[in-house]
Amino acid sequence: MEVSFHEEIKALRMGAGEVFHGEGILAITKGLLQSGVSYVGGYQGAPVSHLLDVMVQAKPYMDELGVHVEACSNEASAAAMLGASIHYPIRGAVTWKSIVGTNVAADALSNLSSPGVTGGVLIVVGEDYGEGASVIQERTHAYALKSGMCLLDPRPELGQMVNMVEHGFRLSEASNMPVMMELRIRACHVRGQFVAKDNQAPKLSKKHLIDEPAGFNYMRLAHPPVTFAQEKRKVEHRLPAARQYIAEQRLNEHFEGSTHRHLGLIVQGGLYNTLMRTLQQFDLADAFGVTSLSVLVLNVTYPLVPDELVNFCKDKSAVLLLEEGQPEYIEQELALMLRRLDLQTPLHGKDMLPSGGEYTAEVMAQGLLKFLDRHQADAVPEATRQWLATNGERRQQVQTLLGSPVPARPPGMCIGCPERPVFSALKLAQQDVGPVHIAGDIGCHALATFEPFSFGHSILGYGMSLASRAGVSPVMKRRVLSVMGDGGFWHNGLLTGVQSALFNGDDAVLLIFKNGYTSATGTQDIINTPTDIAKELAGDKRQSMVHTNQTIESTLKGLGVQWLRTVHTYEVSHMQATLTEAFTTEFQGLKVIVAEGECQLERQRRIKPWLASLLSKGERVERVKYGVDEDVCNGDHACIRLSGCPTLTLKDNPDPLKVDPVATVIDGCVGCGLCGENAHAATLCPSFYRAEVVQNPKLHERLWARWQSLATRWLQPA
Amino acid sequence: MTQPISILLCALGGEGGGVLADWLVDVARHAGHPAQATSIPGVAQRTGATTYYLEVYPLPHSQLQGRLPVLGLNPLPGRLDALVSSELLETARQIGNGLASNDRTLVISASSRALTTAEKMTMGDGRRPEGPLLDVVAAHSQRHHVMDMASLCQQSGTLVSAVMFGAIAGSGLLPFTREHYETVLAGPSKAAQASLRGFALAFDLVMRQREQAQYVEHVMKPAVAAPSASAALPADVAAKFPAELHPLMGLAHQRLVEYQGPAYARLYVQQLERLMAAESASADDTCPVTLEATRWLALWMAFDDIIRVADLKSRASRWTRVMQEVKAKEGDVLKVYDHFKPGVPELAALLPQGLANPLLRWDRARVARGQAPWSMPLKVARHALWGMVSLRLLASLRVLRPLGSRYATEQALIEEWLRGIEAATRLSPELGLELARCGQLIKGYGSTNERGKDNLLHILRHVCGPTSAVPLAEQAHAVARIRHAALQDEAGQALDQALLQHGAPARPVKEQPVLWMKNPRLQKS
Repeated sequence: MEVSFHEEIKALRMGAGEVFHGEGILAITKGLLQSGVSYVGGYQGAPVSHLLDVMVQAKPYMDELGVHVEACSNEASAAAMLGASIHYPIRGAVTWKSIVGTNVAADALSNLSSPGVTGGVLIVVGEDYGEGASVIQERTHAYALKSGMCLLDPRPELGQMVNMVEHGFRLSEASNMPVMMELRIRACHVRGQFVAKDNQAPKLSKKHLIDEPAGFNYMRLAHPPVTFAQEKRKVEHRLPAARQYIAEQRLNEHFEGSTHRHLGLIVQGGLYNTLMRTLQQFDLADAFGVTSLSVLVLNVTYPLVPDELVNFCKDKSAVLLLEEGQPEYIEQELALMLRRLDLQTPLHGKDMLPSGGEYTAEVMAQGLLKFLDRHQADAVPEATRQWLATNGERRQQVQTLLGSPVPARPPGMCIGCPERPVFSALKLAQQDVGPVHIAGDIGCHALATFEPFSFGHSILGYGMSLASRAGVSPVMKRRVLSVMGDGGFWHNGLLTGVQSALFNGDDAVLLIFKNGYTSATGTQDIINTPTDIAKELAGDKRQSMVHTNQTIESTLKGLGVQWLRTVHTYEVSHMQATLTEAFTTEFQGLKVIVAEGECQLERQRRIKPWLASLLSKGERVERVKYGVDEDVCNGDHACIRLSGCPTLTLKDNPDPLKVDPVATVIDGCVGCGLCGENAHAATLCPSFYRAEVVQNPKLHERLWARWQSLATRWLQPA
Repeated sequence: MTQPISILLCALGGEGGGVLADWLVDVARHAGHPAQATSIPGVAQRTGATTYYLEVYPLPHSQLQGRLPVLGLNPLPGRLDALVSSELLETARQIGNGLASNDRTLVISASSRALTTAEKMTMGDGRRPEGPLLDVVAAHSQRHHVMDMASLCQQSGTLVSAVMFGAIAGSGLLPFTREHYETVLAGPSKAAQASLRGFALAFDLVMRQREQAQYVEHVMKPAVAAPSASAALPADVAAKFPAELHPLMGLAHQRLVEYQGPAYARLYVQQLERLMAAESASADDTCPVTLEATRWLALWMAFDDIIRVADLKSRASRWTRVMQEVKAKEGDVLKVYDHFKPGVPELAALLPQGLANPLLRWDRARVARGQAPWSMPLKVARHALWGMVSLRLLASLRVLRPLGSRYATEQALIEEWLRGIEAATRLSPELGLELARCGQLIKGYGSTNERGKDNLLHILRHVCGPTSAVPLAEQAHAVARIRHAALQDEAGQALDQALLQHGAPARPVKEQPVLWMKNPRLQKS
C-alpha cells in the first residue's frame, strides 16, 4: 500500500477526552469505532481510500475489538455486505468513491433499501466533485431520493463530522433506512482536530457470535409481493420516523441572524465553511461564524424536514438556497413546500448561482451579491464590489502578459512506470498495422490519454474496456484494442468483458496490465498481488515480482481463453511484435496479452530500504541510470514523444552552433531501461547510454576496471 | 475584523506538498493557533500539478475565550495572503487563476522550471520563455521571493518541501518564531537533519532578500554567453567577411576542420563567399543572408554519421561528463554501454554509390516482402577495451568519408540549397534570408534527417524557384510560414496545410509497405 498509517492507527485507539489531530476521513473512521460498528467494507478510491486502508493496516486492533474488515472486490459486493443489517441488530459501514462507486452498488442498494435495515447502516461516499475530481460530475443525491436512503452532508468540522457519524447509525436504526454520508474531497482531506470518545466493541461481532439465524420473514426479502408493501412503508413509516429523529436531535443547525435576520440563507452542511468565508468578505459574518443574516445549515439533505424549512422561511423577506450541483433537488422540494402552504417568501437559488460546478467562495460571493442587490443593496460594502470586479480584470491582465494560456500539467505515469513501455510499443505497432480503435479503461493506464501518447477512444467505466468494444469491433475493419488494468479486471472486467467475449466468440484483443495492485487508488493489494513470502525469497529485490502470482493467467485459461501471451512490459520490441501479431493473426477468438511489470511505486518501496541496508553494510550495489550525450542528441525529441518520463526532459544546447534544446535525463531516473529499449525499437538517434555504477565493487572487479581504463585512456582522444 | 491568514501551496505530485501542509499545521498547533489545511490530490499525486490550501488564525487560542474560528477550504481569489510554489509555471498558472493580487499577496516561488510534456515533445524548442512568467510574478504580488529552490535542495540534500518551509518561515508571514518551525522538523534521523539544513538555507536567503529589495534580478539566468573568441578565424578568412560573422564563423570553421580537415573548412568558406557575392547587390552591407547561412551551412556540412558519433562517444571529455552526470564517486566502478542500431542506410552511407545502391535495393526488397528493414542492435561497452577499439576504428574511417555515398548526396543537396539562396537573394534579399533560415530543417540522423531534407527540397522546388505557383511578392512570407509548419508535427500535416494555403502543392505521398491484415471474418461475406 502506498501510504503507511503507523501514526494514524495509534490515533484510532484514542479514548475519551484525548484530542485527535488528523485528516477528516480518518476522523470518520474513528467515529465508526466510537459507534460500535461490527463490520466495515468498501472499495478504495480517492478521496475515501484512507478509511479502508487504515482499517486494513490496523487489523490487529480491529481483531481486538472484533470488527470485521472486508476489502471488497467492488462497490456492489460492498453494498451487498450491508445485507447483514437487514435481519440482525449489528451496525455496518461501507465506503467508496461516488458517483461511480454508487453506480456500481446501485442494485444492491435498491434491494437493501426496500426491506430496510434493523442494525444501523452507514455508507460513507467520497463526493468526487469539482476541482481535483477524476470522474464524471453527477450528484449522489439522486440515489438517496430514488431508493429512500437518508443523506448526510455534515459541516466540514471534524467534531461535527464524527458527531454525524454517530447520529447516522441511530438515525438509520430509528427509521430502518440505510444512511449515506457524502463527504466532498476537501472535507475528506481536511486537517483538523476533535475530542475523542472511547471506542465501542460491538455487541455482536467476530468475538461475540450470533447463535441462531433469524427466523424466516418474507418482509425482509426484496421480492414480490412484499416489495409493494415495502414501498408503502418507506413513505408512511420510514420517512416520517427519520424526519422526527432529525428534528428532535436538531441535526440541522439554525443560526439566528442579527441586523439582517429577515434575510435567510439555507446551505448544505458541506458548504458551510465556504459560505462563512464568503460572508466575511461582505462584513456580514465574523471569524467565528456569527452572521447578520439568518442561516439554516442542512447537515441532513434528505429527507428534508418540512416544518423546519417552512418555519425558517415564513418570517423571512427573502431566502437564498445554496445547493451545489444539478438538478437542484432541494430547491425544487422547498419551492413545492412553500407553494403548497401558499407562503410567498421569495426563494432564490439556481436563478442566482450557477447550476453546475463547485461552489467556491468566489462563486458564492457572486450569487450572494445578486441576492443582496435585489433585497438589501445597502448591505454590500463598496470594497466587496471592487474585489469581485477586479478578479476578472486581473485574470485578463495575466493573460495578456503571458500571451497564450500556460500549458496544462495533467498527472502522468510515475518514473519507471511499467505501463509506459507498453504505450511506446503500441505507438510503434500502429506505425506497421495502421491506427486502431482503442477502448480505454479506468486506472493508471488512463493517463496514456494525455500527451505524449493521446491514446483512447472511450472510457465507459472501471473494467469496462473489453465490454465497451463489443459494438465497435464487429463493424470495424481493423481489430479493436481494449486496455485494462488488473484492478479493473477483478473489479468488473472478468465477467462483463472476458466472459461475454468468450461466450459470443468475439474477435477481440485485450491487453491486461498486470502490475499487481490497484495502483491509481494507492496501490492496494488484490488477488494477484505477489505474496510477502515471494518478496522475501527474492534475492534481487529490484526485479518485478508479479510473475510469481499466476491467478489472472489460470483464471483466463480456466475460462477457455486459447490465445494468451505474457510479455514483460519493458521489452518494447517484443511487446510491439506481440501487439502486431494480435492485430493480424488468423485466430478469430479473444486474444489476451498479459503485460507483466510490477508497479514501480511498490518496487521502490521495497528497493530503497534494501539498497540502503546493503550500502550501510558495505556490500556491493549496482545502480543503473540512463543518460543522453548532449553532443550527439539531434534536438528532435522523438525519444520524448515515445516516453513522456518525467526524468527525460530538455536543457539548453551546450553547442553554441546548434539552437534546439537537447534531451537530458535528470536525477530521479530509476534505470527502468525504457530509454534503451526505445532507442533500439524505434531506431532513435544513438545518443542514449546506459551507465552502471558499482558501489563497493569487489576487488577483482576494481582491478579489471582499472586495467581497462588504462587501456581505453591510451586509446581515447581529448 | 481579524481574518485568517490564507496560504496556497502549489507542488507537483511526489514533491511532499502534503508533508509541508502538515508541518505548517503542526507549527500552528505548537504555537497554540487555530489552523486548518486541506488538499485535492486525487491522481495528481502521479506527477501532476496540485495545490494545498491552509488557513491559520493570527490570534492564539489563549485570546479567543474558547471560541473557534470557522476556517475555509477554498482560496479566495485576490484575498490570498501567500502563494508558495515549487515551480515557476505553476506559480504563473495560479496567479492566472486570479488568486494573487499586488495589494495583498506574498509570492514565494522557485525560479526553476519542470517542463511540461507539451513543451518537451515539440520538435524544435517548445519551452515557455521564463521572462513573462517572472513578469507575472512581479506584477501580481505585493512582495515576492523567487529563488533557485532546486540548488538549495541539492546543497542540503533534502526535498523541496523543507526549502519551501524555510522560505515561509523566513518571510515572516506567520506569527511564529524560527524555533516553532524547527521543533517540527527536528529529529535524530538523517532525513530530519537534511530538512533542517534545507530549511536554514531558504530561511536565510529570504531574510537576506527581504533586506535587499531586488528579488527577481539575481535569479535571472545570465544570457547565453556569446560564442567565445577562442575559436578565432584564420586572419586571411576573417579579412574577407564583415565582423558580424566572425564569432559564428570561427566556431563553424573549427568544427569543420575537426570534422573533416582544413580542405573541407576551406570549401565552407568558399560557399559563404558565393552567398556574399549574391548579396553584394543589396543595400544592406551587414550581409544578413550570409550571416544566417553561416550556422546552418556549417551544421549541414558537419552532418551526423556513424563516424562522427563514434568519435564523440570515445572522447575523454565525454567519459568525465558521464562520470559527473551519474554521480559516480571515487572507488566506484563505472560501466557505460552505448545503444547503437545501425541499419542498411547507415552502412550504405559509408560505401561508394556503386556498392551502396544494390545494398539499399536489397533492404527495400526485404521490407517489400513484409520483413523489418535490416538493422543490428548493438550495446557497445565504452568502458571496455574491445568497445573502445571498435569505436576508434569507426572514428578512424573519417579519412574515407568523402568517398562515401552519403557524402556525395549531402554535397549535392547543399549545392541545390545554396543555388536556391543565391538565385532568390538576387530577386529579393528577404526571400534569400528565409531560404537560408530553412537550413534549420536539416538535423539529426535517419528518418529525422530524411524528413528534414525532403521538406527543404520541397520548399526549394515548389514554393519558390521558376516553377512556383506562389507569386514572388508572397514567397518570402510563405517560406517563413511553411518552414514554421514543417517543425510542427512528424506526420507533416501542418506542413501540407500551410503549403496548400499558399497555393503550393502538398508533399508527394511516399511509398510505404502496407501490412495487410488477413481477416477471415471479413472474407466470409
